[in-house]
Amino acid sequence: MVATTDVPVATPDFDADVAADAAAEVAADVTEHDRVWRTIVWNDPVNLMSYVAYVFRSYFGFSEEKANRLMLQVHHEGRSAVSSGTRERMEIDVQAMHSYGLWATLFQDEA
Amino acid sequence: MRGFVSRRGEFVAELDQTERTIISRVVADTSALLGVPLRLGGPDALPDPDSWARMSWSAEDVEAPTDPALARLLPVASTQDDGVAEEFRRLTDGDLRSAKTTRLRMVWDELRRPGEKLHVPKEHALDWAAALTDIRLVLAERLEIRDDDDAEAVYASTLDAEAEDDDVRSALAMLYSALTWLQESLLQVMLPTLEGPSA
Repeated sequence: MVATTDVPVATPDFDADVAADAAAEVAADVTEHDRVWRTIVWNDPVNLMSYVAYVFRSYFGFSEEKANRLMLQVHHEGRSAVSSGTRERMEIDVQAMHSYGLWATLFQDEA
Repeated sequence: MRGFVSRRGEFVAELDQTERTIISRVVADTSALLGVPLRLGGPDALPDPDSWARMSWSAEDVEAPTDPALARLLPVASTQDDGVAEEFRRLTDGDLRSAKTTRLRMVWDELRRPGEKLHVPKEHALDWAAALTDIRLVLAERLEIRDDDDAEAVYASTLDAEAEDDDVRSALAMLYSALTWLQESLLQVMLPTLEGPSA
């Protein structure tokens, strides 16, 4: 370990920029695949609020408070992101929501 | 019709013969829409294993449904990327149809048993609630319920004999409202049985 006072002063900004660009490039490659996926549940005029809350609690294991909060977000704001993770995991969640008659979509975050 | 109550480890509702006949018809219609016609009981009523195998998933692209009611049962899974939506449909269409028609079959069998009581074991309550959702989605599409105001108008029309001139639409609206009420009664006995943190 080197004490900071012993380090030569001139570390050019130029090098830092190059390093940052390189890091960003690597990160872009990784995040193209790893950018987070989400399960979005959409509002509809058919599904009962009690049923949506029940599905959220029983399928996702949410607390009553969290299930009701997300259900009300769907109802009032038209949609809610209810889970996030890999694409494969979100496909399972979306399929489960469709199985229960809720309209859900896969959504990948923008870079 | 009497809504669901909790009784000795199961949920019980009462439907008279006319109600059973009408509801079993829309259950059968919904199952047929999903590609599995329901017939009277007996082993020959079961789909043959080959058809199940064909249904599980497809190597070919699966067309999105053109019937709007079927499109509501098997909706698009991405509004962001058509390729994602197509792949999802190819991988899940068969399993979703199978899950939904199995539940509809369970409800249909119970509706066709003699007597007025409907018996729903607690472990199948969610299957029933999901099947009731699917038949309500189909009815709602036929009634052109597109938003909450449309739904309110349908409920209101059933309370006013003069509100609806069209007999078919009037009957569908009554049925939709009755099924909404029946499903809500089921949820009210289901919710207290959920385990886990209550806050």
